[in-house]
Amino acid sequence: MSRPAPTDRRATRGDEPLLSVRDLRTVFYTDKETIHAVDGISFDIYPGETVGLVGESGSGKSVTARSILGLVDEPGAIENGEIRFKNTELVKEGWDDRRGEIAIIFQDPSNALNPVYTIGNQIREALNIHQGLTGAAARERAIELLEAVGIPDAPRRVDEYPHQFSGGMAQRAVIAISLACDPDLLVCDEPTTALDVTIQAQILDLLTDLQQKEDLAILFITHDMGVIEETADRVNVIYAGEIVESAPTELLFSDPEHPYTTALLESIPGRTPPDEQLPTIEGEVPTPNGPSEACRFAPRCPLAVDECREKVPDTVSVDDRVEHSAACIFAGEEYGNRGEEL
Amino acid sequence: MSRLTYLFKRVLMTIPVIWLGTTITWAAIYMGPIDPASRLLSQGQTRNPAAYEAAQTQLGLDQQPLEHYLDWMTSLVTFDLGQTWLLYEGSNVNSLILDFLPRTLLLGFWSVVIAILIGVPLGFYAGLHSNTMSDYFASFGGIVWRAMPNFWLAIMLLAVLSISPQVFGFQLNWETLFIEIDSISGSPDMSRIWTVDGFLEATKKVLPAAVVLGSASMGNEMRIGRTAMLEVRNEKYIDFARAKGVSDRALVWKHIFRNALIPLIPIITSEAFLLIGGSVLVETVFGINGVGWLFYQAAIQGDLPLVGTLMYIFILITVGINLAQDMLYTIIDPRVGLEGS
Repeated sequence: MSRPAPTDRRATRGDEPLLSVRDLRTVFYTDKETIHAVDGISFDIYPGETVGLVGESGSGKSVTARSILGLVDEPGAIENGEIRFKNTELVKEGWDDRRGEIAIIFQDPSNALNPVYTIGNQIREALNIHQGLTGAAARERAIELLEAVGIPDAPRRVDEYPHQFSGGMAQRAVIAISLACDPDLLVCDEPTTALDVTIQAQILDLLTDLQQKEDLAILFITHDMGVIEETADRVNVIYAGEIVESAPTELLFSDPEHPYTTALLESIPGRTPPDEQLPTIEGEVPTPNGPSEACRFAPRCPLAVDECREKVPDTVSVDDRVEHSAACIFAGEEYGNRGEEL
Repeated sequence: MSRLTYLFKRVLMTIPVIWLGTTITWAAIYMGPIDPASRLLSQGQTRNPAAYEAAQTQLGLDQQPLEHYLDWMTSLVTFDLGQTWLLYEGSNVNSLILDFLPRTLLLGFWSVVIAILIGVPLGFYAGLHSNTMSDYFASFGGIVWRAMPNFWLAIMLLAVLSISPQVFGFQLNWETLFIEIDSISGSPDMSRIWTVDGFLEATKKVLPAAVVLGSASMGNEMRIGRTAMLEVRNEKYIDFARAKGVSDRALVWKHIFRNALIPLIPIITSEAFLLIGGSVLVETVFGINGVGWLFYQAAIQGDLPLVGTLMYIFILITVGINLAQDMLYTIIDPRVGLEGS
C-alpha cells in the first residue's frame, strides 16, 4: 500500500527533542477511587515543531498540559513517568528553574488574566522575572509585545484592565504575556475554543507567525480536527488517558490506523456527502478509574473482537520511518481486510 | 467620570437617605404611641388636663405637626436641638452625646479592628492551607466563635477574668496585667485618651467588651476570607501566573490577596455600622456608659431631641461607611465602574 511521502520535520532536523514525555501517569485521588486521568503516555516535541494532542472532552488533554507545566494540584499528582525538558527531568527536579520556558495559553482568555491588574502590569511582571526589565524599559517592551501580537493602539491599551479587552484581544494579550517569558515551548490548551470562528482563524495565524519568528515549539491541544489539520506537524490522538495513535498530520488524516482516529475523522462535518447523516461515536469516554485491563475504546469500537476486551493492545509501530504508531491489535493490517469484516 | 465627580455625585445621593431616615424618626416619635408629655408628668398629675397642656407647651408639642416638623428638621441638621426632654432632664443634647459617644466609638473601633486583624488573616491562612489540620482547627474555631451569643460570651469572659483561680487554677490578675486599670468592667476614662498611657488604659478597659462585640464578625470574616482565598487560589489566572514563574510569595500577596479582599469589603463594612449602634447588651454587661444604652433609653421614653440627634449621627456614620466602601471598591477592583448605569 502506498503512503504519502513523509513530510516530517524530524528527518531534516535531527535535533534532540525539546520535550520528551515518557510513560507519564497523572492520577487524581478521590474517596472512592483513583482516576488515571493521564495513563502512561509518551511523546516528543522537537524544537520549532507543532505537535497536536487531540481527543474528546474528558480524555485527559488538559491534564497532560497541566502535568507538563507542573500545575497539577491536590488531589492530583504525577504518579509515574518522566518529563524531560532541555536536559532537566522536571518531575524529579521540579519546575522552578524552568518556569517561563514552557508557557501556556488557556482556553478562556478572560480567566487567564488577573482582573485587578492592568495588561501592562502583567506583561511587565513576566519581563521583570525573565528578562530583568523594569520601569520605562519594561513598559516599552510591553508595548512592543502588544504590537507584535496585533493589538492596535498598544500604548493606550497597555494601561487597560482585562475586562476592557474583547475575547480575541484578551487572547492576544495572553499570548503577549507568554512571549514576555521568552519561552521555547508554548502549550496551547484549546486556545481558540472560546472564540468565534473569524477570531479563531486570526489567532491561529498569529500563532503560526510567532512560531516562525521566535522558533517556538508548540503543543497544540484541541478537540477540533479541522484546527489540528491546519496547525500541527504531528498528531497524537488521546483517548481515556492513553495515546492511541501518533503520526505525522498528513498521514493521520489520509491513512488512520486506529479505529478511534477513523471515527473522529468521519465525524468532521463536510467530509460526509451532504445528503447523508454525519456519523458520530456512540457512547462516552470512560473514566479510567484503574490500570487498564483491556482496550479502553473496545466498548465503542465497531471492530472490537473478544481479544480487545481481554488484553491491553500493544502500541505497534506502523511505519518506523515516520514514527507512525497505533495501539490497536489491527494496526498495520490492510484496511481492506477490515472493511470486509464489518 | 473622575473619582472626584463620582464622590460628589455619591454625596448628593446621600441627601435623600438622610432626609428619609430622620423624617421617619420624627414621625415614629411624634405620631407614635409614646407620649413624652405624659411621661414628663409625675404620677399624680397625669390626669390633670391643665398640667398636661403645660407639659405639651413646654415640649413644643402643641404646635401644628408640619410646623413642628420643619422646626425640628432645621434644628436637627445644624445639630441645634437644645435640651433633652426626659433623659438627664434638661441637659444639653450635644454635650450629652459628646460625653457618651466616644466610649462607644472606642469600643466599636476595637471590636472592628480586632475582628479584622484576627478573622481575616486566620481565614486567609485556612484558605491557603485548605483541608489540613490547621484549616480544620481554624474553621471549627470560627464556627464556634460565631455561634456563641454576645450576652453569654460577655458573662463568661467576665467570669474568667474575675475568678480565674477557679477556672485556670492560677491567679490571673487582669487588672494589673501589663497596664494597671482600676476594675475589670466599667467605662473607660476618655479624658486622657490623647495621651499614650490614657489611650492604653482606655483600650485595655474596653478590650474584653470589644472581643465579645467583634466575636461574630471575626467568625464571619474568617469564613468568608477562607472561601474567598480558596476560590481565588483555584482561578486560571493563578495557574497562569504560576506558569509565568511568579514566586509563591508574590503569587499570594500580589495575585491572590487583592482578589480575595473584594468579597470581604462588604462583610467588613456591614459589620462596622452594626457595631456602632448594636452594642446595648455588651455595654450593659460590661457596665460601659455608651451610646447604645443612651439610645435605648431615649427611644423608649420618646425623648425626641436626643433620639433624633443620635439617629442623625448613626445615619451619617452609616452613609459615610457606605460611601467609603464604594470608594474602596473602585480602588481595589477596577471592574467596578464609576459610570452610572
